[in-house]
Amino acid sequence: MNYRMLIYLLGIITIIEAALMAFPALVALIYGESAAPFLITMAIMLLLSLPIVIFKPQNKRIYAKEGFITAAASWLLLSCFGALPFVLSGAIPNYIDALFETVSGFTTTGASILTEIESLPRGILFWRSFTHWVGGMGVLVFMLAILPADNGRAMHLLRAEVPGPTKDKIVPKMRQTALILYGIYMALTIALFIALLCTKMPLYDSLVNAFATAGTGGFSVKNASIGAYQNPAAEWVIASFMLLFGVNFNIYFLLLIKRFGDVLKNEELRVYLVLCAIATALVTFNTLSYFPTVGDTVRSAFFQVTTLLSTAGFATANYDLWPSFSKTILLLVMVIGSCAGSTAGGLKISRVIIAVKNMFRSVKKTIRPRSVNVVRMDGEPVPDATLHATASYISIYFALIVVVTLLISLDGFSIETNLAATLATINNVGPGLGAVGPAGNYAAFSPLSKIVLTLTMLIGRLEIMPMLILFSPATWRKG
Amino acid sequence: MKVIIVGGGAVGAAICTQLARENHDITVIDENAAALSELSNSCDVFGIVGNGADLSVLQKANAEKADLLIAVSAMDEINILCCAAARKLGTKHTVARVRNPKYSELMRFLQSEINLSFTINPELEAANDIYRLLRFPSATKINTFCRGKVELAEFLIEENSPFCGCTLTDLRHKLNFKFLVCGVLRDGKTYIPSGDFTIHAGDIICMTARDKEITQLFKAMRVYVNPVKNVLIVGGGRVTYYLLSLLEKSKIDVTLIEKDPALCQELASTYNCTVICDNGTNQDTLLEAGAAKADAFLALSPIDEENAIISMYAKTLDLDKIVTMISRISYVDFFKSAGLDSIVSPKSSTVTDIVRYVRSIANANNYSEINALHRILDGHVEALEFSITNDIENLTNVPLKQLRPRAGVLIACIMRGEEVIIPSGDDYVAKGDTVIIVTTGESFDSIKDILA
Repeated sequence: MNYRMLIYLLGIITIIEAALMAFPALVALIYGESAAPFLITMAIMLLLSLPIVIFKPQNKRIYAKEGFITAAASWLLLSCFGALPFVLSGAIPNYIDALFETVSGFTTTGASILTEIESLPRGILFWRSFTHWVGGMGVLVFMLAILPADNGRAMHLLRAEVPGPTKDKIVPKMRQTALILYGIYMALTIALFIALLCTKMPLYDSLVNAFATAGTGGFSVKNASIGAYQNPAAEWVIASFMLLFGVNFNIYFLLLIKRFGDVLKNEELRVYLVLCAIATALVTFNTLSYFPTVGDTVRSAFFQVTTLLSTAGFATANYDLWPSFSKTILLLVMVIGSCAGSTAGGLKISRVIIAVKNMFRSVKKTIRPRSVNVVRMDGEPVPDATLHATASYISIYFALIVVVTLLISLDGFSIETNLAATLATINNVGPGLGAVGPAGNYAAFSPLSKIVLTLTMLIGRLEIMPMLILFSPATWRKG
Repeated sequence: MKVIIVGGGAVGAAICTQLARENHDITVIDENAAALSELSNSCDVFGIVGNGADLSVLQKANAEKADLLIAVSAMDEINILCCAAARKLGTKHTVARVRNPKYSELMRFLQSEINLSFTINPELEAANDIYRLLRFPSATKINTFCRGKVELAEFLIEENSPFCGCTLTDLRHKLNFKFLVCGVLRDGKTYIPSGDFTIHAGDIICMTARDKEITQLFKAMRVYVNPVKNVLIVGGGRVTYYLLSLLEKSKIDVTLIEKDPALCQELASTYNCTVICDNGTNQDTLLEAGAAKADAFLALSPIDEENAIISMYAKTLDLDKIVTMISRISYVDFFKSAGLDSIVSPKSSTVTDIVRYVRSIANANNYSEINALHRILDGHVEALEFSITNDIENLTNVPLKQLRPRAGVLIACIMRGEEVIIPSGDDYVAKGDTVIIVTTGESFDSIKDILA
């Protein structure tokens, strides 16, 4: 275990966060608010991290273990510092609440403990939405993009943070991969920002909503979320972009280098789009009587499906009041989530595809024990190691859901609320059903439940393993 | 540069590690997914699972836009095939490892069709390395430049050496011919010495002189041992095969011990040497073959551990020169630390040669080209060979004593046409020359960078 390098990397992450915090400080100054909460936090972060970073470690070797631990520890650290401005400004006086809100931001969950949002200072709200954008593509990826890669083994960092069962670089050099990913991310965000301005959304709102959509986060600056704008054009724009941000970013790179054949071959993309279309159609038919026109129904269904499929968690309608068939479909898409390598959460489409194919394979194998069956994805055989990893991921995932639901059920909410809260946090969605539905929030949970859900969000964003490794005693044993 | 490496075995991996450190864009193709993932974990490269001679795999690796393809898979045929395919797709340079001697003629025959930039035969390279060591038995390592015309030799200065306690200026007065000490390794630190530098016992010095005078230099140092007249070789593999033809030309007596009767038969019918069909790890066999009286002992069996053990035994016989062949690159350091100093490794020779070639095409520019790069004195010092292709202000045609070079840089040798110049203050560098630069500092790409 290379502690020196681990601490060094954490120091760098802290400096990056301090630099990123300059943006909300600037916003606060522009709107004539006090920038002090940000400046104080920045000062604390720099004071702590600069002495660490000045002395570079001699031994820069890191292995898979260090990669996972750095990922988990840096996300915890980011959240702990990121929560300070909320407390210092008095927006969220309780530190546990502030931590919940910050983790919800960085993990692009969008679950909030705030009941009244609109009265908060704009700088604070900017920071809250900005954390979505930062967390969407990941801080470690950002670090890899801006720092010179003098360490071939830094691949372990990328692997620990980018979601999905298959993680590979898109170009030979890791730094370029990170730069390309961030470039695509930034270009899409800017496109969304301009599109929102065109729908006559105010400048500030366009910016923060663009951040929250890009990271598929779901924090809004309005109490009634996106529904508050009463702006159908903006809803269409945001829904479409949520769909776009749920696509594997490698696809955009393939489009850029004009490898259209590979894009068409991509099974995950096809399943993703088909799934979205079917879910939208089913919800539309099921909720026809709830809206005045068919157009409104389609728009609302499409928005709700994309927001939960991409695990953003905005709302334009209170789907908690919809028929239970629609609610079940929405819960299902929440669990499935979007494509691997996107900013979205959930199980990821490719994992579900592999798991389903593997299921059929097991059935075939049982019928004809000597038959040789190979699971294929995009026309290529999936290695057994990936099949096992996927199966074990899914079992840990469901085991965690059971544990978390059990822990928070101590607070005495309905089973629906508890299960939905667990699913909404582990999949980084945000709003669930019942008391935590689109009209509710997480304020009523006890501090213990809030801490459990905070950890659940981190577990979901980093895809379970890094957090499990961080808290596993075996990791810290010598040797 | 965009580099594709076909084959992620020991050689492929070593090339990868080195080139990734030098910041090239590297894609590795190998059929073994586990080896690839191991490799992409340890260095910044992109892995593609597949056969290098599969067109779709080459396209996936973007061979159309690649600058260089290096084929070092286990099979010669695949190496040749994928180089030909890559050329056709548009790769600018191709390098293939071809080990079967039967193919080398074919390669010349097909040159215009396949258009390989460079083929490398590891066993032939290793045989050349061994041959060089036998010519100067007292040097621990010899690096050649200018296609073998200039040699940089490394020596250990022993307690009783006449060089002990001399400054370089003293030495220059003592000896009536030109030589140059390019670098000194003392206690893990390297120095580019000036005239008042004093040599101590235990130093490893790296020096150069003209080909004819280098033997005189050895004599002056009293480290000169008589030229090798007879050698004992254990193991009759490919390296031996190549080496025997070199030794035959220089009339050195060879006794060869090899287990395999068929191989013995073949070697005995091709070369004039004493072939003994027996187990070389048997002490009696070695003594009976004359191990105690041999000038040089070469352990060239295919099993590294055997080579190491019999070399250690040969050391107890107090032979002048012992050369150990090691296939696994990772063993080299272990055996060096066990006291075996002359180690030849076909794989690491291949890696060095290929990396040197990559550097020379990566660094080609208007003023100069790097032809070769050697790491000398345990890798602490780099020796670079440049061709000067153009006149450069403040450098060409200026006497060396008026040059203002960077600290830690030395012009070790100038080669003008066929003439080798060991430079002193009045010599100068001209367009068309090949120069050898020794540097302790950062490596550089252009000859211009040697100026302060």
